[in-house]
Amino acid sequence: MASVPPEAPERPMLETAGAAAVSPRRRRGWVRSLDVAIPAGVLALVLGACFLWPIVASIPPPTGGDVLESNLPPLSPGHVLGTDPVGNDILSRLLHGGQASIQIAVAVQGIGLVLGGSLGAFAAYVGGILDAVIMRCLDVLIAFPSLVLALAIAQSLGPSKVNTIWALTFFSIPAIARISRAATLRLREQPFMVAARLSGTKMWRVLVRHIAPNILPQLVTFGLLGMGIIIILEGALSFLGLGVPPPAPSWGNMIFIGQQSISAYPRLVLMPCAFLFVTVLSFNLLGEALRARWSAQ
Amino acid sequence: MSTSTPALGADRRVSHGLARALRSPSLRLIGRRLAAAIPVLWGVTLLTFLVLNIMPGSAAQQLLGADATPEQVRQLEAELNLDQPAWVRYWEWLQGVVTGDLGNSIASGQPVTTIIGQRLPVSVELVLCAIIVSLAFTVPLALMAARRPNGIVDRLSMVLSMTGLSIANYVFALVLVVVFAVIFPVLPAIGFVPLSDGLLGNLRSLILPAIAIGFPLFCFYTRFLRGDLVEQMRGEDYVVTAKAKGVGPWRVLIRHAFRNSLFGLLTIVGLNLGTLIGATVIIEQIFALPGIGQELLQAINNRDAVVVQAIVLLLAVVVVVANLITDLLYAVLDPRIRYGQRSA
Amino acid sequence: MSTYGAPHSAAASVSGDGSRPSPSTTMPLLEVRDLWVRFRQGDRQVWAVNGLSYELFGGQTLAIIGESGSGKTVSSRALMGLLPETATVTGSARFDGEELLGLSDQEMRQHRGADLAMVFQDPTRSLNPTMRVGNQITEAIRTHLPLDRRAARERAIELLRLVRLPSPRQRFFEYPHQLSGGMRQRVMIAIALAADPKLLIADEATSSLDVTTQAQIMELLLDLQGQLGMALIMISHDLGLAASFADEVIVMYAGRAVERASTHQLFAHVRMPYTEALLEAIPRIERPSHSPLPVTPGRPPDLTTLPVGCPFEPRCSRARDTCRETSPPFEEQEPGHWWACWYPCDDGGSG
Repeated sequence: MASVPPEAPERPMLETAGAAAVSPRRRRGWVRSLDVAIPAGVLALVLGACFLWPIVASIPPPTGGDVLESNLPPLSPGHVLGTDPVGNDILSRLLHGGQASIQIAVAVQGIGLVLGGSLGAFAAYVGGILDAVIMRCLDVLIAFPSLVLALAIAQSLGPSKVNTIWALTFFSIPAIARISRAATLRLREQPFMVAARLSGTKMWRVLVRHIAPNILPQLVTFGLLGMGIIIILEGALSFLGLGVPPPAPSWGNMIFIGQQSISAYPRLVLMPCAFLFVTVLSFNLLGEALRARWSAQ
Repeated sequence: MSTSTPALGADRRVSHGLARALRSPSLRLIGRRLAAAIPVLWGVTLLTFLVLNIMPGSAAQQLLGADATPEQVRQLEAELNLDQPAWVRYWEWLQGVVTGDLGNSIASGQPVTTIIGQRLPVSVELVLCAIIVSLAFTVPLALMAARRPNGIVDRLSMVLSMTGLSIANYVFALVLVVVFAVIFPVLPAIGFVPLSDGLLGNLRSLILPAIAIGFPLFCFYTRFLRGDLVEQMRGEDYVVTAKAKGVGPWRVLIRHAFRNSLFGLLTIVGLNLGTLIGATVIIEQIFALPGIGQELLQAINNRDAVVVQAIVLLLAVVVVVANLITDLLYAVLDPRIRYGQRSA
Repeated sequence: MSTYGAPHSAAASVSGDGSRPSPSTTMPLLEVRDLWVRFRQGDRQVWAVNGLSYELFGGQTLAIIGESGSGKTVSSRALMGLLPETATVTGSARFDGEELLGLSDQEMRQHRGADLAMVFQDPTRSLNPTMRVGNQITEAIRTHLPLDRRAARERAIELLRLVRLPSPRQRFFEYPHQLSGGMRQRVMIAIALAADPKLLIADEATSSLDVTTQAQIMELLLDLQGQLGMALIMISHDLGLAASFADEVIVMYAGRAVERASTHQLFAHVRMPYTEALLEAIPRIERPSHSPLPVTPGRPPDLTTLPVGCPFEPRCSRARDTCRETSPPFEEQEPGHWWACWYPCDDGGSG
């Protein structure tokens, strides 16, 4: 929980929403900025609920519930959304599960951004045989059905939150590396890049000072678009018993556990499903809106 | 010189024809693709092997249970040929693959080819149903959406496709189960009826899983096709030519824009097959379908490296071959590639 | 055999060989009055065509000359109803007595391809790459004429022969990429002629071709015009081309007509400094070799605002204060010669 500060993922989104509001096209600007503001707002709400609510308000712990209180309906005293078959508070599990899902997604995309981004930029910058070899290796990863690879890795490392993150980076690194490589290739021939090269600037310096700031916004947008996919994949791993191990909650394993009593208590499945869907939809809409803005420029 | 024998002439004609065939752009394309695919496939097997061999805990331990003595484990490992160094086993496995022998399952002892032969048809039927159903809905919806961009159908299609792309397939599958098997019990929630037990039962058992896989697919295809059609209707000169002929809007859309979008759609269908395979693993699990995905998950949990490796290789081959077939179909269907670029 | 079977014989009855109807006695085929076109572009307006008027008689050739962005293409596409939805068109365009502007798309389709046809600049992009050229012609034929598949094919082959495409029967089954640029443009012309149009608009029809092919296509268009008795609007940036082929010339600048006269009169007495500048830019044999061509300085005006004065004023060598303050009216200042200029060139100014 302490590994990712709760306000970290929130800040960039609020900033983009603010930047859109003061866009020079004033007449219909506020209507246009809605496509960013609404998903960003919903995300802020979900993130706030998952990371702040358990701290501010006192809600029951997500695990170690009392079996005597099992299967309480929603709006029961002390359990707003009821309890599951072992007596755990569902709301608490949803919020803590959301923490796990979002932490994993942020970590996976963060690692993908750093490793994949630099790998792609490096490959494009040096070019030649090294570039070809790196790209072939990425091809191997992409030809591999991503979920199958993640399953195999998660199984061989053993199910845990950290191992889930590493398994999923095999999905995000090659994808981001490709985008980064393409963006760097476009930059490479720009006059200021040629000038930097010809004036004998060291490679790492060119990469850090010239390429990174230019490709970063594009990569971050792409990473945001990928957040939804990662959350879905994490859910899939947990759903198949290879992600976050129970009793600790994640949206995926809540759906998996709920599935066993789906005919009696469909809400046990539908509630984490709804949270998962709203979060992924918001990430997708936000990424899409930012991408549209990018391509319009 | 001028009086060559007929046989020689015929021979020369044949070799000339062959040379021309070898020079044909589509064939060369396929050759290039095949050459590029082999190292990728090899890389996939190597990666699988590496991943499977860093697994802690051995298959023998898994088979015998936790209370087995170290002697028993060692004995079984020797029986299963697991006591040799990893690279020796990889080399032997690779030799087997080249000769068509994928080995025997560690868990059940059955030949892997037999297992795949039983499981694959189920998954193939599932995926084909999903693709066909989703395309059947995609084409009319995308055409209607592109007919009036930003119109009511278009907006609906955008909302629908964004929803479909944001909904995880297992979430959607479970919602389907809740609605059609729990609330309105009209369709079976789990189980598979083989084709040999009747077509109707077979299709009934595939409806929900095929929709679960097909709906996100449909959204993905629709998004692509609608975008491509709108772009063509806005930007392509031959669309203007068709309009200038006095051709009606639907006809322009279908005969001119859709005809050209079809190639792109085909590529998308082919390239997306890899993602679909991941979806079958989950969906087969939810609906208890005895397909290749279920087998794979089982094998991963049993640490049955032989089966996992064979299935992963198979899936990688499917992805690579699907890409190849996409290229090939493209070459057959697109006249620009079929005849090569003769003029400037 | 249907009456539509042979295009040239059917059309030959429309007009006698070479005898053109006299402008003063008949009603014009096309009468454009005060045509305005503006585009919505984000929050701005682009004023593409600003009050264009002209008339064209059957069998005549009109050249509309201007730089890119002068509104020549937009004004002709407005007639065909081929502008995107962001365009607003006002004014009047009567074709054969019927008002074209304001027709619904369905009504306009009856005219498009049948009465008015268009040949575009880039034949490579204007033909559908995935359709056999024959089918692209028969599509145009069967949209307007009641012919069955076979008869339409025969007519299409006849049209290919008419546009002098070698071995038309074989070309019918080929794809656009199998043809050369000039051949593709011939196919485009065949498509335009599919339903015997009364007016053919050639929008920079030769600009993307090499010089030899250019001349061939131009000759072909004029031959066909004489043979079929069509009216022809030639849209071009090349005043030299207009000089050799058109009966009348309209020079456009910044979305408005700035000079209009019969070709003969225009080249004898150029009035508008912009036309003169265009004329100076044509390479000529009598100039000493390797002498640089004069270039009009400056760039075409910004169309997002309507200027108060003459739009050409910033680039004009003759501009004075009046030009900055008031826009000159476009009027018939001499019989058969219209221009919009406060300080026109005198007779000595032309070549």
